[in-house]
Amino acid sequence: MRYHATIDGKQYTAEIENLENGRFAITLDGRRYEVDAAPAKNGALSILIDQRSYCVRCEEEEGDEMVLYLGNQPFRVDIANEQRFRLRAGLAKVSLHGSQVVVAPMPGKVIRVLVGLGDEVKENQGLVVVEAMKMENELKSPKAGKVVELLAQEGNAVEKNAKLLVVE
Amino acid sequence: MGQKIQKVLVANRGEIAVRVMRTCRELGISTVAVFSEADRTAAHVLFADEAYCVGPPPSRQSYLDQGRIIDAARRSKADAIHPGYGFLSENPSFVRACEKAGLTFIGPPASAMEAMGEKTRARANMARAGVPVVPGTTEPLQSVDAARAFAEKIGYPVMLKAAGGGGGKGMRRVNGSPELDSAWRAAKSESLNAFGNDAVYLEKLIERPRHIEIQVFADAHGTCIHLNERECSAQRRHQKVVEEAPSPIVDRPMREAMGQVAIKAAKAVGYHGAGTVEFLVDAQRNFYFLEMNTRLQVEHPITEWTTGLDLVAWQIKVAEGMKLPLDRPLAPRGHAIEARIYAEDPAQGFLPSPGRIRQLGAPSGHFVRDDSGVYSGYTVSSHYDPMISKLSVWAHSRSEAIARLGRALDEYVVTGITTNISYLRSILRHPAFAAGSYDTEFLEREHPTLALAKKSETLTLPAVLAAVVVAEQRDRRRTSANPRLDGSGSISPWRQVSRRRRPRV
Repeated sequence: MRYHATIDGKQYTAEIENLENGRFAITLDGRRYEVDAAPAKNGALSILIDQRSYCVRCEEEEGDEMVLYLGNQPFRVDIANEQRFRLRAGLAKVSLHGSQVVVAPMPGKVIRVLVGLGDEVKENQGLVVVEAMKMENELKSPKAGKVVELLAQEGNAVEKNAKLLVVE
Repeated sequence: MGQKIQKVLVANRGEIAVRVMRTCRELGISTVAVFSEADRTAAHVLFADEAYCVGPPPSRQSYLDQGRIIDAARRSKADAIHPGYGFLSENPSFVRACEKAGLTFIGPPASAMEAMGEKTRARANMARAGVPVVPGTTEPLQSVDAARAFAEKIGYPVMLKAAGGGGGKGMRRVNGSPELDSAWRAAKSESLNAFGNDAVYLEKLIERPRHIEIQVFADAHGTCIHLNERECSAQRRHQKVVEEAPSPIVDRPMREAMGQVAIKAAKAVGYHGAGTVEFLVDAQRNFYFLEMNTRLQVEHPITEWTTGLDLVAWQIKVAEGMKLPLDRPLAPRGHAIEARIYAEDPAQGFLPSPGRIRQLGAPSGHFVRDDSGVYSGYTVSSHYDPMISKLSVWAHSRSEAIARLGRALDEYVVTGITTNISYLRSILRHPAFAAGSYDTEFLEREHPTLALAKKSETLTLPAVLAAVVVAEQRDRRRTSANPRLDGSGSISPWRQVSRRRRPRV
C-alpha cells in the first residue's frame, strides 16, 4: 500500500508491504527498509528499522494527523494512504468553487504571515506558518485566487480551527 | 523543641512535599499532606499517610492561608510543620503562629527570618558583621535625587532593587543619569505590586557576575558549619535553571573563605537549621553578600550528592534539638548537576504549558535522581509553579556528570505537554557551559542558540518509516471497525470511504 506523509513541512511517499507477524518492508526514495514493530511498554511501539531500535508513541490521533514521539522527540505527522490521499485531493477540487477559509490545524502560534490582503496567490503557495510544539507548519493555499480576508497576525496565539484567512 | 517528632505536616505541594515526606518515612515519622481543591490527586496527597483539604485552588486561599494550615495540623495531631520552599517558608508570622499553636516549625527562628527578610536591613546587618556586601546604600532611598547623588558617588552602571523582596522583581539596571527617573518609577511600582512595599535601594552593578551560594547548617547549641558551594549562574530572569556543585571556579581557599563568611552571616542573625547564603562573584573572583534564603533550597539535592547527607533529616534533627553530627566542613566529593524540568515552551517565550501528561517515563540508572511531583495521567495545573521535576546526577568528574545528565535527559519522556527538556539539553551542549565559563547573563545572551535550536534531522527518516507503520495499523483498525460507531459528529471523508466498502442494505 502506498502512503503520503507530511512531516516538518516535507512530503514523503512510501510503499509498505505487510509481511505479517509485525514485519514490514517499506520502500522510500528507492531504498528498501526492513521494519519490525511490536507493542511494548505502556502502549508504546518498539520499532526496529534495519535492526536500529526506536521506541515510538502515537498520540493525539485525529483524522489523518497524529503526534509521533521517537523517544522524547515529537513529530507532527499528516499521513494518508493512496486511496484516501486521492479522495482528499478530489474533495479539495470539488469545493474549490467560491471562497476558501484557511484555518489553524492545531492550537499554536502564528510565526509568519507570507501574504498580504489583496495578494494574488497560486495554488499550494505558502500563506501562513503556524508553530505548535516546536514544529512549524506552513499552510498552503487550497486554490489559485486572491486573499480577501486576512485575520492571522504574526505573534498571535491561535486556537485549533481559528480562521486565519480567506482565499477567493 | 527537645523531643522526638512523631508526625510532620508538610505545608507545601508537589515535588518538595514528596521529597520531605520520603525522609520522614525513613525516620519513622508519620506524614500529613495539605492540598487545595485543585490538588486532590496530586503526587504529595497520594504519598502522604493523611491528607487535609485547606481551601480553593488560589494559593492565597489555601497554601498561604496560615489559619487553615494550623487547623489541619491540629486536626491531624501533627507535632511539627515543614514548610518546604516558597509559600510560607520565609514568613516569620507563620513561624510565630506555629509556636503559638504548640507546633515545632522545622526551620530557623522568626527573628533570623526578619533579620534577613528585608534586604536593606540584611545588608546593614551583614556589613556590621564584617560580611562583604556590594557597594551601595544601606537604607531605602528617600527620593530620586538622593538616588542620583549616590549613583554619581559610586559611579554608573548601578542597580535599583526592591528592599522588600528578591527574585528579580522591582529590579532595574541604570546605565546613566538619563535613565534614572524612569527606572526609579518602574522599580518602585513593581516593588509595591510584588511586595506591598515600594522601598528601593541602590547598588553598584557587577558586570557579568556569577551566582554562587553556600549551604549552611546550624544547630541550637552554637555549632554552625557550611556544606560547600553551589554554582547557580545558569538562570533566566533570576530563576535558576541548572545548578552544579562544586562551582567550576571555586578552589579550596576560595571555598573556605566563602564558607567562613557564610557562617559569620548565619551566626550574626542567630540562625539555626538549613540556610543558604547567596553571593555575587565578579570577574576577579571577589564575592559579595547578595541575600540569605532562610529555608531549604530547591537545588539542595546537589549538596546531598556531593556530601552524602540527607539535609531534610538534618533539618528534622536540628528541630528536635539535637547537635549537628559534624563540626568541620566536608570536602565535596565528585560532581553533581541538577536540571529543573518545567512544563513550559522555551520557543514561545517560556510560556507555561499546563495540561494532562499522557505518558511520563523518568530516567533511571546509576547515580540518577529524579525528584518529581507528577505522574502519567496527571494534569499540570495552571494555578502553581510549572516545575514538574528536578533531575540530578552525580559522577566523579564534571565532564562525566554533564554526559550523565545529558543521557538522563535523553531518556526523559513526557508526552501530552511541552517541556523544556530539549532546552536543558542545549544548555549542556553549549561550549561555554561545557567549559564552565558562564555567568548569570549566559542564558539570556545565548537564548536564540538554546531555545530555538533546530531539531536534529537524524530522526526524521526513522519518523517517516515509523509513521507509515503506525498509519498502516491505524487504517486496518479503522476498516474493521464499524464506521458508524466512531463517535465523531459529522460524516468525515474517511467514513465515506469506509461506507462505500460496506455492502448496501
